[in-house]
This record gives sequence, structure tokens and C-alpha cells, in this order.
Amino acid sequence: MIDEKKYTKCQLNAIVLLRVLIGWHFLYEGIAKLMKSDWSAVGFLSQSKWIFSGLFKWIAANPTVLEIVNQMNIYGLILIGLGLIMGCFTRIASYAGILLILLYYFCNPPFAGLFYSIPMEGSYLIVNKNLVEAAGLLVVAATGTGKYLGLDRLISKWIKK
Amino acid sequence: MNDQKRTPKDSSTGEEKKKINRRDFLQGAATAPVLGLFGYALYKQQSYEKAQKAALLNSKPVPSGLSDINVALLGVGAQGDVLLNAMLKIPGLKFRAVCDIWTDFNLKKAVNLLGKYKHTVNAYEDYREMLDKEKGLDAVVIATPDFWHAQHTIDCLKAGLHVYCEKEMSNTLEGARKMVQARNETGKLLQIGHQRRSHPKYIHCYEKVIQETKMLGRIATVSGQWNRAVQPDIGWPEKYAMPTDRLKKFGFQNMHQFRNWRWYKGLGGGPIVDLGSHQIDIYSWYLGSNPISVMASGGTDYYEPKTHEWYDTAMVVYEYDTPQGRARAFYQTQTTNSANGYFECFMGDQGTLVISEAGGRGSAYREKSAPAWDEWVQKGYISAPKVLETPAAGSVALDVRETVPADEHKIPVELYDPYHKPHLENFFNAVRGNEKLNCPAEIGYETAVAVLKVNEAIEAGRKLTFDPKEFIL
Repeated sequence: MIDEKKYTKCQLNAIVLLRVLIGWHFLYEGIAKLMKSDWSAVGFLSQSKWIFSGLFKWIAANPTVLEIVNQMNIYGLILIGLGLIMGCFTRIASYAGILLILLYYFCNPPFAGLFYSIPMEGSYLIVNKNLVEAAGLLVVAATGTGKYLGLDRLISKWIKK
Repeated sequence: MNDQKRTPKDSSTGEEKKKINRRDFLQGAATAPVLGLFGYALYKQQSYEKAQKAALLNSKPVPSGLSDINVALLGVGAQGDVLLNAMLKIPGLKFRAVCDIWTDFNLKKAVNLLGKYKHTVNAYEDYREMLDKEKGLDAVVIATPDFWHAQHTIDCLKAGLHVYCEKEMSNTLEGARKMVQARNETGKLLQIGHQRRSHPKYIHCYEKVIQETKMLGRIATVSGQWNRAVQPDIGWPEKYAMPTDRLKKFGFQNMHQFRNWRWYKGLGGGPIVDLGSHQIDIYSWYLGSNPISVMASGGTDYYEPKTHEWYDTAMVVYEYDTPQGRARAFYQTQTTNSANGYFECFMGDQGTLVISEAGGRGSAYREKSAPAWDEWVQKGYISAPKVLETPAAGSVALDVRETVPADEHKIPVELYDPYHKPHLENFFNAVRGNEKLNCPAEIGYETAVAVLKVNEAIEAGRKLTFDPKEFIL
């Protein structure tokens, strides 16, 4: 439970803003993939590099597994996005988001000497926007602002009743 | 930070904590309006994408209650087979008769294929017999060797049929002229098989890129090519070889000539005609004018000249007086290497269009100094740009005379059907009176004038000029 006494309103609102923006990004990433009927993670997965590449390439090579992963990714993104925006199960949504982002990160890590055929915008070395977004979610998870502004406030009270 | 600020005034404490009050509801739903905003933004984005898609479809209505067209096929060799396979995907066609002199092979194959699609057809060796016996025909699709086109087309037109004739319209201008005359006299339709004229990507680029937006600016140069890998001569199963007297009756010396007629003078026109004429046709179409001169270098450099009388390599330079001013166009066809395949490239002072019948190949490149193309991207005429990488400063020295490479915008229109299907459809819809021909005889004639002169220019070894009257009948 967030201790609202510990933080100023300004600090809390800033974290809520961070939470809502990351949520928006997740939600649209999910919906955009949902709307694009032919979307698949296959290209992203099959160019995987580094020590986990075997796992990601295995997913890409197995149509059934790939389809499950695609669907989990789409609906995972949408649910996490909704959770973050609405402040609903904020902690679960944040950790799930971190997990998802780290999967993306370790599928295509921007480490020295690795290159990818799907172009990335910008220049990255070890730290990329995925990692920054994951760190943002860590802040959201650590502060649990859903109980300040969000449905978690109602949920927690309702449970306590 | 001071302590007072640390305590938000609206925080709930003690007993109050367990009761849900009005403030809790307000705070609980505080971020819900974000979803409303998201929904609105999503709606905006969706309608934008929808409008883009609609702009690309050219909204051709699906015709209903098509009247059947009775079709005959004249010549069902390699090209006839391609056309037949495309036509089998077109509704409203009743195949009635097929004619081919290679009765044991081509003719049988076509009849069998049509049989599989429940078309019972009469087979003929002699097209005159077909025209005599088959009454009820509406249209004929001719895919015989070039030197037969004129006679076949004229006789079919005179028999009252609408004609789709493969390009090259004829191997001689005299033949092509007579075809146009016969068309005029009979009042029947004559479509020439320059199928790019009906290709949605080519039509899109002509209407939107060239005409409406003029996004390329002033086009001063054009280039294009068809590079094809080495191919062996076309053979034949020995047991189906036709006797020499039969071959001679139809204008061939032997089976090799019958199978490889494209390489022989008097029968075909060589690669510049077989391949080049498709693309040189696009030059004239997009530039809005016919060439005023041509020079060319070519020869049979690689293959055996006895069996390859026409040039295996041709490099051509045309001059055009376009409505915008003078333009020069290079064209190359060679048959010993496939590098970069086939495409046409129109270069204006504001942009470049690279287009090809090959799937996935079609892009516009904006010159850095040109006005923005954002409006055309938003309208869906071209895709959002892919910024091409500039060489990093230092690693490659960028000369002051060099310009930064242009951004690439993909042409978002593709054809997912056989290449010839839209052109054939256009012909049959014109037969029904619903459309105008995309490549009527006079257009095919103009292209024949421009293309056949290349072989003359190679022979002459100098620049040849066109009299504008040459293009007019």
C-alpha cells in the first residue's frame, strides 16, 4: 500500500503520469497488432541474437507455439495497458510489463557486435528504450500509485470491507 | 522537502479508510478519461487508415449478372498458355474453340486443361476452318508468333470477332498498319497485349504520381532495363516433332525455328521486341509523347548467330519532346546476366519513380530539395518514407558535389493476380461495353513504331529520327 504521507502530491502525480503513458503505449502496441490481421512476431523472433536466441528461434519455428505466443503478446499488451491506465492491479500489471519488455530486450539485445536486419530507430548500446521503459515500470510497481489514483483504491477498500 | 507538503490533504486515515466514499470514487476513476482520449485517438487513426485503403482500391464495382462471352483461342503455345491460365480466373467466359498448328502437343494440352474446367471446346489446326465453322463466337485471343499476328487479327476482325492480340502487334509496321485499318473498317475492338497498361500499380502511378500530383517534377531522364540470365534454346519432345512440310506450310524451316521463332528475323524481333516493347511502351505512356529519335548499339555477342539472328544485347537511347520539355531515355536488354532484373525508372527534378511489373518493386524517392510529400503519404498515394542511411561522416568522405540520398516511399499498390488478368478483363469488359480498352490498336501501333526502329538503328549504326507522322495512321 502506498504511503501517501511519504510523497508529495506532485511526486505521486508524476508517477501516475508515467504509469498512464506507459499504459497507453502498451495498449496501442497491443491494439495495433490486433488490428493488423497478418501481424506476427516471427520476424522479430527469428532474428534473435545472444544466448537466448535458441529459445526465441524455436518459438518462431513452431507454428502452434508461435500462434500462442502471438496471442499472449497481443492480449498481454492490451491487458497490461488497461491495468496501467486505470490503475487496476497496478503492481501485477507493472511486473508483467517488465517481464514482457525483458523478453523483447533479451530477444534482440543491443550488445556490442550484434546486428539486426529489422532496423531500429536510434542508437543503442546495452541500454535501449525497452530497458528504460522497464525501469519506468519498476518505479510504478515500487510505488503502487493505483491506490492513489486508480481502481486499486476501490479494490483495496472493497477487499478490506 | 518540508513536512507539510508531504501530507496530501485528501489522504484518508483511520476508520475512514475502510469506507468507500465519494472521494475514493473520484480518485479511483481519475484516470478513466485517458481511456476516452485513447478511444478517440484510435478512432481517428482507424478512419485515416481506412481512407488510405479506400483510396488505393480505386473502388471498382464488382459487376453483377455478366453476360457470357464466347471465346476462341488462336495459338496456345507458351504465351497462349499464360493467357489461358489467367482467363480461367475470369468469370463470364465460355471457351468454344482452340486452334494451334502443333496439334499433338499445344492443342491437346489446351483442350485437356479446358476440359478440366468443364469447357468443351472444338479443336482446330487451321484458323480459317475455325472461323468458317464456329458461328456464335464473340472474341478471339491471339497468341501466335509475331509474324502471324497481322493476318490472324485481320481475318478474325473481318469474321466479326473482337480481338485481343499479343504484343508485338506485328513484326512489320505494314502489318500493324493493316491491323488498325481492319479494326477501323470492321468497328470491332482490337486490344494489344501490353498488359502493364491495365496493371493496377502502373495505373496508380500514372494517375496519382505522374498526372495528379506531378510529384516527380520535370522528368528529364528515364532509364530501364530487362536483364535476363542465360537460357538454353527451347526444345521439344522428339516424338511430337512436326514434319518439315507441315512446318514450312506455316512459315517455319524446322522445329528449332518453330520453337525459337523469337530469335529469327522475319518471324520475331528479338529481346528488344519481346521484352523491351513492354517497357518502352511505358516510357511513351508516362512521358505523354512518342520519341523523336533513337540510337542503339547491339548485336549477337553471346549466342550462336545462326540460331540467334536477332541481337541478344541492345542498348538504346531515345530522345523525347515531352509536354514538359526534352527528355532522354536509356533502355537496355541483355540475355546473359540477370542483374537487377527488370524495371523502369523515371527521374524528375523533384523525385524518382522506380516501377516494375515484378511484385514488391515500386518506389518513389523524393529529392531533398523538393516540396514535402506529406500530403501524398496521407492520401495513401505513397507509403511513409523509409529514410535511407547516409554514409557516416568520416568513414566515407562525402564529396561536396554529392547530394544526400532521397528517402524511399513504397508504392502501396500491388497486383495479386496473374500479370495478364487485368488486361484481359479490361478487354472482355470492353466487349460488354462497360469499359474502354486500355491498349487499343493505335497505342500498340505507336509502341511498335518506337520499338521496331531500334533494330533498324542497330543495323544502321547511327542515330535515326522519327517523323511525328510515322506515329499517326
